[in-house]
Amino acid sequence: MPQFRQTDQTTFQVAATAGDARAGTLTINGQTLETPTFFPVLSFYGGGTKSSVFGGGVHRTIKEFMIGDDAIGGGTYEEYFRGTMTSVAALTDYGINRERFDDYTAERIKDREPFSEYSGLIFVDSGGYKFLHSDGLDGSDFEIEIDQREAFRIQNQLGGDIVVNLDRPITPNDTFEERQTKAERTAENAVEFARLTQDYPGARYLTVHGYNYSMLNRFFDTVQSQFGNIDISTLFDGIALGSLVPKKDNKEALITAVMDCVEIMEERGLEDLPLHILGIGSSSIPLLVAAGADTFDATTYILNAINEKYSVSLTDHIPLDEVDFSQCDCPVCSTPMLVDRMQGNAEYQKDILGPVAMHNLIIHKQEVQELRQRIKQHGTDPLINYLDETVGRRDPIRKQTHRVVNQSLGGYF
Amino acid sequence: MKQHPEVNEVQEFLEIASDFEDPLEIIRESLSNAYDAGATEVLITIRNTASGSDIIIEDDGHGMSRDDLKSFFDLGNSRKTDSIGHKGHGTKIFYKSDRIVVDTAHDGTNYHAVMDRPWEKLNNKTLPEYEVTEMETRPDNTGTRIQISGFRSGEGFDPASLTYDKVHHYLKWKTIAGSTAHYFDSDQREMDVVVDLDQEIDDSRDELATTNQLTFPSEQLEPDTGEFPATRMCKHYPPREIEFEHDSGTSTVEIVGMIGGKEARNELPTYGRHSVQFGVWLAKDHIKVEQVNEVLTHDNEFIHFFFIANCQDLELSANRGKVRNKASSLYKELKRELKHYMTKIAEDPWFKEDYLETRKRAQLRRRAQSQTTSLEDRLDAINPAEPFTPTNRTEVLLALERSNTHADTEITVEEYKADHEVPAILLEDGDPRTSHVYVELTTHFENDYPLGSADTILCWDYGDIDVLREYERHGYHGGDVEIDLQDDRIVYHHKDRHTVDIITVCDRIAAQEHQPLTSLD
Repeated sequence: MPQFRQTDQTTFQVAATAGDARAGTLTINGQTLETPTFFPVLSFYGGGTKSSVFGGGVHRTIKEFMIGDDAIGGGTYEEYFRGTMTSVAALTDYGINRERFDDYTAERIKDREPFSEYSGLIFVDSGGYKFLHSDGLDGSDFEIEIDQREAFRIQNQLGGDIVVNLDRPITPNDTFEERQTKAERTAENAVEFARLTQDYPGARYLTVHGYNYSMLNRFFDTVQSQFGNIDISTLFDGIALGSLVPKKDNKEALITAVMDCVEIMEERGLEDLPLHILGIGSSSIPLLVAAGADTFDATTYILNAINEKYSVSLTDHIPLDEVDFSQCDCPVCSTPMLVDRMQGNAEYQKDILGPVAMHNLIIHKQEVQELRQRIKQHGTDPLINYLDETVGRRDPIRKQTHRVVNQSLGGYF
Repeated sequence: MKQHPEVNEVQEFLEIASDFEDPLEIIRESLSNAYDAGATEVLITIRNTASGSDIIIEDDGHGMSRDDLKSFFDLGNSRKTDSIGHKGHGTKIFYKSDRIVVDTAHDGTNYHAVMDRPWEKLNNKTLPEYEVTEMETRPDNTGTRIQISGFRSGEGFDPASLTYDKVHHYLKWKTIAGSTAHYFDSDQREMDVVVDLDQEIDDSRDELATTNQLTFPSEQLEPDTGEFPATRMCKHYPPREIEFEHDSGTSTVEIVGMIGGKEARNELPTYGRHSVQFGVWLAKDHIKVEQVNEVLTHDNEFIHFFFIANCQDLELSANRGKVRNKASSLYKELKRELKHYMTKIAEDPWFKEDYLETRKRAQLRRRAQSQTTSLEDRLDAINPAEPFTPTNRTEVLLALERSNTHADTEITVEEYKADHEVPAILLEDGDPRTSHVYVELTTHFENDYPLGSADTILCWDYGDIDVLREYERHGYHGGDVEIDLQDDRIVYHHKDRHTVDIITVCDRIAAQEHQPLTSLD
C-alpha cells in the first residue's frame, strides 16, 4: 500500500449548530466559503470561444454575470459565485471537436483571460454519472476513454479547487450484486485518486453512494477495506453523497439518505468533514441542511429558467409571463435593461432566460443565507420556524418537514 | 316616500323560540348569563310538578339592572357585545313555557318580573307582556333566580328523560361548563355549577357538581404493562395561539388538546356516541361547536385525538349548532392553519413511535399469542397413531407427494395456483396432466365444474359414492356421465366423448402400506 499525503490545505470549521444543522466556514487554499452553501452548476465551456465567454446558451449569460461582462450591463455578481460546480463530463456536452477540447483543457479555468478576475472556488465533479453509461467523453470527432487517472488529469487541468474521485453511481433498480460491484470499483478508484492527488493543492472529496444506512455503511466498509488500516478521515477533505438525482422528487428518500450518511460519518469519525450533496437543490435544501448537509449543487436554477419559471422562493416559482418584476429587489430585477430582456425583448433566448436564471440563483442564494443565519441564532427555534413557514406550508412536503424537525432538530413538543 | 320594512313581532318571537328544541339549551343560556354576571356559583334545579316541569336557575352574580331585564325579555336587543347571547336570541327559549318568573337583585334594588302564558299567547298571535315590581334590598344582596314553569320542547318536555349523566355530558360538551378558556386565560374565573334533579327524575345521587372548565384526563406518557399497554396512555398538547391571515384581516385560533388511548378517552364525558366525539372541534367562546376532522390527514384515525380550536371570528347559527360563515376566506384559512398544526401533532414522535407503535406491537403480540394457542390446539389434535387424512386441497397435494415413495407411478406437482379453476399441473411419469384437486371427488360435481376442462381429477377419496351414482343416473351438464371407480376414470358423453382420469391419493397410500405384504408373495 502506497503512502498517502494527509490533507492539510483545507479546513472546515463549524461555527454554530442547531440540532443536526450546522453553519461553518470551508477554507481551501486561503479562499473561504460560508456554509451551508449552494454551488450553482455551470458549464465553463459550452462549445464556443473566448469572445463568447466559451459559449453555452443560458450558461454563457450566467458566465457573463459571473464576470460582470458588458453584455449584461456589467455589475458585480461575484458574491453569488464564490463557489461553482462544473463537471468533467460537461466538457463535451456541445459536441466539440478534438482541437477545441485540447484548447479547453490546455489551461486552468482561472488562468484564462475571460475568467482571470474570478476568484471563487470551483468544484470539478468527475462526471461519474455520465461515464457510467458511456465510459468516455464523446466529442464530435473523438472519444476519450475515462478512467480514474484520466478523470483526475482533466480535473487538474481545469484547476478544480475541489475534486472528487471517479465514482460509479448506483440506481434505484440496481441489485445488491450490482451495487456491490459499483462500490468496489468506486473504492478502487478512491485509492488511486488518493495516490494521484498526493500533491494536489485543492480539496479532495470522497464520493459515497447509498439510499439508507445499510447501503451506505456497506459502501464505507468497501472503501475502508481498500485502504486497509489507513484512516480515511485523514485522506479526504469532504464527503460527497451521490446517486440521489433519480430520487430528487422523493423528499423522504433524500432525507433518509442524508440523515443516515450523517449518522455513519459520526460513527466513523468523519463528522468533522463537510458533507456535500451532489445534484440536489431547490426545495430540498432547507430539509437537508436541517438533516446535517453542508453544501449542495444543482442546475435547477437554469433548468427552471429554460422552462420559463421565475423563482419567488426555494419552493415556489411563477410563469415568466406572469411576473411583476417590480416585486423583486434583486440586482437583476432592479436593472431596467435586464427586466426588458426578461419581458421578451431580446433576439436570443439566452438573453431572455439568462437573467431569469441569474435571478433564480440569487433567490436560491438568499434563502441559503437565511438558513445560515437561522442556524447561527440561539437554539433550534429560529430554524424550526423557518422550515415551518416555508417548506412546511407545502402539502406534499409538510410531513417530511415535521420528520426533520422531530428527528434532527428536537421536535415541536 | 321612503318606507321602513315592517316586522311581525309575534311571528319573530315564535320563529326564534322554535329554533330551540332541546330543553337543555335553557341551561346553556343560563350558565353563560350567570358567568357574564360574575357568578361564582350556579344552582340548576329541575322539578317535576303536577302542572308540568319547573326549571330554576339561581346564581350569585351581580344581578340585572332594569335595562338588563328589558334586554332579557326583548328580542335582538342584547346588551352583551362579545359573549354568548350577544344576538339577544338565547333567552327567547324561555318563551316556550307557561310562566317565566325572574327575581334579580342589583345595586340595592330587587326586580321581580313575571310573564304569564308566553307560549300560549304567541301561538294566539298575541305578544306576551311582563310585569316588573321593584323593591329595595340590601346593596350586598345580589344574584338572579329564574324560574321557568311548564317548559315545552317540540314534543313536550319530559324531564324524566333527563339524568345526571345526560346533563353532565351536555354541560361538558355544549356549555360554558365545558369551556377550554382557562387554558388560555389564567385569570379565568372558576364558577361552580350544581345541578339538582327531582328525585323522581333521577335518584342515583343528590346532585351533580362541576365547574366551568373542561380538563383532560391526566397525562401518562409511558405504556402500561398489561395486555393493552397503550390504552391509558395520554399526552397533553399545550395551548397554542396561532395567528392567521385571511381576506378580511388577521384572526387568532387558540388550540389545545390531547392524544389518548381508549381508557384515557373514557375518562372524558360523553356526548352522543362516544366513538364519534373525538377528533378536532371548532369552538367559539371556547365551547365546542362542530367537528372538522378533515383537518387530520387521512392516514390518521381521528379517534386518538381530542383538540379544541377556538376562534372568536367564527359566526354561529342562532342555536349555536353550526358554523355559519363556512363560505368565508376566514373559515378556509382557519382550516388550512389547523391542518398545518394537526400534522405537527400527528408527526410528533410520541404519537407515532411511542403510542401508535406500543399499540401496534401489543396487537401483534396478542395476535401471535392467539396463533400460539391455535398452534397448540393443532399440535394436540395430531395423533401419529391415526392415519393421515387431509382436510384441504394443499394437504391432498402433500399426500400425493408422500404416496410416491412406493407407488407404481410417480406423480409430482409441477405447478399449483390455488385461485384457478384448474389449479394444478401434475407430471405423471414425465407427462404433464392438468388437474382439479379436491379432498373428495364429489366436490367437483357439487361445485358444478365442467368435466372437459382438465385431464384428471386428483382427490383424497371419492366421498359419498351414492352422490356420484346420482349424477350418473341424472346426467351432468346435459350429457351422460359414467363414473368408473374400478378403472378410476370418468367417461362423459355430450357431443363428444371425454375421459377424465381420477387419482385417489388415499388408494395410492393404502397400496403403499400394503406393499410389504405383497412382497412376501
